[in-house]
Amino acid sequence: MPTLKVNGRRVIVDSDATLLDAARAAGVEVPTLCQFDGLEPWGGCRLCVVDMSQANWDDDWFKVVTACNHPVDEGMTVITDSDRIIETRRVVLDLLLARCPDTPLIQQWALEYGIEQTSYTPNPDPDDCILCGLCTRVCDHIGVSAISSINRGWGREIAPPFNQPPPDCIGCLACAEICPTDCIPFETSTVRRKIWGKEFEMLRDPKTGEAVITKEQAEHFAERSGVPMTYFETSDRSKRREMAKTFEKLQVVK
Amino acid sequence: MHMIYKVSVERCIACGKCELACAFAHGSEGRPAKTRINIHRRGPELGTPIVCFQCDDAACVAVCPTEALARNVETGAIEMVRSRCISCRMCVAACPFGNMLWDETYHCVQKCDLCGGDPRCVPFCPTGAIAWVPVEEAAIPPEPLDRESLTFETGTGV
Repeated sequence: MPTLKVNGRRVIVDSDATLLDAARAAGVEVPTLCQFDGLEPWGGCRLCVVDMSQANWDDDWFKVVTACNHPVDEGMTVITDSDRIIETRRVVLDLLLARCPDTPLIQQWALEYGIEQTSYTPNPDPDDCILCGLCTRVCDHIGVSAISSINRGWGREIAPPFNQPPPDCIGCLACAEICPTDCIPFETSTVRRKIWGKEFEMLRDPKTGEAVITKEQAEHFAERSGVPMTYFETSDRSKRREMAKTFEKLQVVK
Repeated sequence: MHMIYKVSVERCIACGKCELACAFAHGSEGRPAKTRINIHRRGPELGTPIVCFQCDDAACVAVCPTEALARNVETGAIEMVRSRCISCRMCVAACPFGNMLWDETYHCVQKCDLCGGDPRCVPFCPTGAIAWVPVEEAAIPPEPLDRESLTFETGTGV
């Protein structure tokens, strides 16, 4: 259980913790954009950068690292609010604002770091996508991998293979729900769901017609859990009704 | 002392106060959330409370792709770790008893977490059909409810 100091506060964390975990344990806020608790860290947005010094380094020698994926080590010193770090984050947000000048989330973060307007040329074709990769990462995590990033540089974007409706997509909406700027459009109802140009049929309760997941979602999880797809069909309301009927039949044994 | 949530089905009068208490305890800005306890109404003053069983080998925990459902060892409840939930709704489909709720208003999944050890519904139940008792009392059979004494006459004032 290594001990380290974050902004002068001492914390003890698990040996597999990250600097971000340590900062949170110390009650210090570190901004993040591409970090999500349920997913492996990626370190892509560069907003969570902190100054870090190892135990055996000179006292004034610090390295700028991303907190979300840097492992902790005994005796580390972490500074999250040095001038250099604040300026680094400011530059990151300046660049992000250039790409996404109309995106409220980025505008808010930029304002917190003193930017009302990007100092670069704003994107002539503004996009809400901040390329945080959360959508592709959650899709990989679920084991579907229907979308990925394509191209490089200016042209980098998130898309299904060949920009066609992705054959692997199960319509779980995890990508759309996790997107911090809500830039993945979708439609959903008890009958139909549409995302990434692909249409899905919802798995409807045979008696009441209610639905929360797609047929493809049920298939995907049925395969992994060894239960038939029909297990997922019954709506929660129908299941509660069934449970109530079971309880009514129970007798109190004296 | 380990506590357990005890439901005595025979004592439920389907008044729905627990549902209201739960919805308001978890809502915000005056907007009630979806209630995590549901009364299956079978007739006048006849109800069956259905609430999360905090299963030992929970289907919701097994199906969650981001480990957003985990046991709180102090309360015994299976809690949602909101920061890990990706709203895929697989747990709603997986729960065999229908105790996972999808709340459209708050756009998230809700489940009973025993309110961190102080269930807000329990004090509202007029008949003690739901109770928060020490584990040793779980097996004590409930007192039958005197339903006759529940009824009262309404008159026109003579």
